[in-house]
Amino acid sequence: MTTASTQPGTPVDPLSFTPPSHHGEHLLDPQLPYDITARSTAASTNIQLQQFVANGTMSKDTARKQVMPAAFGEHVDDVRYLAGSIKQHALDHLDYYLEQFIERATAAGVKVHFAADSKQANAIYLDIAKKNNVKLCLKSKSMVTEETHLLPALEGIGVKTIETDLGEFILQLDNDAPSHLVAPMIHKDRTAVGRAFTRELGVPYTDVPEELTQIARNYLRAMYPKADMGISGGNFLVAETGSVVICTNEGNGRLCTSAPRIHVAFVGMEKMVPTLSHLGVLLKVLARSSTAQPLTCYTHIMTGPKRRHEHDGPEEMHVILLDNQRTQILREETREMLRCIRCGACLNACPVYRKIGGHAYGAVYSGPIGSLITPMLRGLDNYKDLPNASSLCGACYEACPVKINIPKYLVQLRADIVKSNLGKKADKWFFRTWAMTLKSSLLYRMGGWFQTRMFRLQAGNTISKGDAYSARGWLDQLPGPFKGWTDQRDMPTPPAKSFRQWWHEHEKNKNR
Amino acid sequence: MSQSFSQPESAAASQDYPGESRESFMARVRQALGRQQTIAPTEPAPVADQDIVRLARPEDDLLDMFEKRAIVTGMKVIPIKAGDLIKSIYQKLEELGAKKLVVGVGSLPQALGLKDSLRRKGFEIVDWASSPGLEVQFGADAGITDVHAALAETGTLICNSDAGHSRGLSLVPPVHLAIVRKSDILPDMFDYWARLKGIPGSQLPSSMAFITGPSKTADIEGQLIKGVHGPKDVFIFLVQDA
Repeated sequence: MTTASTQPGTPVDPLSFTPPSHHGEHLLDPQLPYDITARSTAASTNIQLQQFVANGTMSKDTARKQVMPAAFGEHVDDVRYLAGSIKQHALDHLDYYLEQFIERATAAGVKVHFAADSKQANAIYLDIAKKNNVKLCLKSKSMVTEETHLLPALEGIGVKTIETDLGEFILQLDNDAPSHLVAPMIHKDRTAVGRAFTRELGVPYTDVPEELTQIARNYLRAMYPKADMGISGGNFLVAETGSVVICTNEGNGRLCTSAPRIHVAFVGMEKMVPTLSHLGVLLKVLARSSTAQPLTCYTHIMTGPKRRHEHDGPEEMHVILLDNQRTQILREETREMLRCIRCGACLNACPVYRKIGGHAYGAVYSGPIGSLITPMLRGLDNYKDLPNASSLCGACYEACPVKINIPKYLVQLRADIVKSNLGKKADKWFFRTWAMTLKSSLLYRMGGWFQTRMFRLQAGNTISKGDAYSARGWLDQLPGPFKGWTDQRDMPTPPAKSFRQWWHEHEKNKNR
Repeated sequence: MSQSFSQPESAAASQDYPGESRESFMARVRQALGRQQTIAPTEPAPVADQDIVRLARPEDDLLDMFEKRAIVTGMKVIPIKAGDLIKSIYQKLEELGAKKLVVGVGSLPQALGLKDSLRRKGFEIVDWASSPGLEVQFGADAGITDVHAALAETGTLICNSDAGHSRGLSLVPPVHLAIVRKSDILPDMFDYWARLKGIPGSQLPSSMAFITGPSKTADIEGQLIKGVHGPKDVFIFLVQDA
């Protein structure tokens, strides 16, 4: 930690403050191929984390379920369908709308750049920074910069870069990484923030959220007028006008894109919508699905740099359009995944996310949508655990404001894992045996007979005593590979009589 | 308020930058879409302004709807008559203890003389227009603006940048006092888009901000806190007879 030498009580001057140089990169960029077991096991036994994540997600999930019908009444599904079909249309014609966007944005004075991958994207940033002798760069929340590791790259050439979103600022100070699309520090509590502020900023310890927020506000406000470059992401690109749209609540997004002389917006190519009216439909569902707000506090629509007659705003505006494997997803079989507007509703609704938290996904995008796009962006062989990290309950699909059929694509990816022979040998053997058993009446009956006796024996039930259906016990530990099932819950023993037996007897009795 | 749009100052210098060429970037997009040439959509884009998504209509009681929905977002609404505007603003500033102000009220007839009378009462009006950038605005205690429009649907204020309105007025000071006339209120977002229809991007304001609440965060343990980077309080002076 670079400023660890500071003593509490001697606050660091905001303008000489240097953030720690690590950003918890390993959390979002683990060694590949990624094995989910260690992190998911650690998370599911971490009671504190369970509590934070459950509190954070369930309140948002409940609120979403209230405000969507409150706004759209019986038409919630139709509205989701409409929002999804707008994004789908834009993706189906992404070539046309991208060309339109490039032309109109350029006409408005924007310099549009193209990046095939992370390396190119960062090279563009470094080049803009060098050409303009940038010393201090302020950044509002953006997931794509996490994808490309932009901050370490900028620091590498001596550009001090500060996260300004409160959550992201805290994570930067604490060498941590975001674990939720919308609530980046959902996995941390106030005491962690207090400790990080004392250690890195030299301020007296407090864990009162209002005071912590005030400290961050004061630090960052001192920096805004001095910054040379502002970095933002983009929630939407509007083809019709060449605009970039960001949706934020804190106001740092507007400041980062208004105060510095240069604004660079970094946007995935899939964020396109055809017109401002189409943008309207998506705005109406984005904040409601995300934080149950009608709109975020600030919807900032930016079209080019400061005009001559305007007083403030950036003199230069750049937009970097990022591919980074998005064109792989754009193929017809998977195109629908790119509809995602990053509202986080599927994370909040997901029982698996709630149990293991964001970092267990080992990537920038977590939760159900992350389980789809991470393997697509970074290789199915590297992330073959993710499509399996789902119970396919469908809560994500129900929550998604643009109706991405997430369970369908999870199954599709699972099939791809099998087809390309990426699965575990044991799985293959197991499912083959399973299929064989299901196809043969004799094997099925034998298997059932055997299983009933084994389970009931283990649970201390006998076959003959008591009522065949109600005299059942519970197994708290299954053997071998089935152990995982009983780690979190008990398994009921099968009834003494199988359905087939019952049916035979029933039919006999009927004919009597 | 009238929309005044003009051409952007200058395109960013046509220097060479690293990165990919537009041609090869677009070629990959077309390949993924399964075509050689970029073609215009053969089917029309879905219609956006439909009954199912429209949340307010011209026949609704827009004044009432705007007021209620603005309050839900955490903004405070002060209903007034046009003749009382200056007096009400003065009272609010006194109550807040604000001394230094940034003001951008455009050509709002109801606010004519606002600056002069505030000056006479001893407030300091920062001359933001003659000092470049946002820096000078950081010292202000409150920002006073009119709006380019307001939305009943969500209780939203639309504050654009133009010659009379710096981006910072509604953003930098800890308190924002916004003047909204009944005639500024549009039912739904779609009505604002309709107003912009046909204006090329190059003639739109460089910044259009839809403000729906005071600056907020819930990053620390989900606890809602106002006034992170933007104003902690937004007071709307709702002029009911103009």
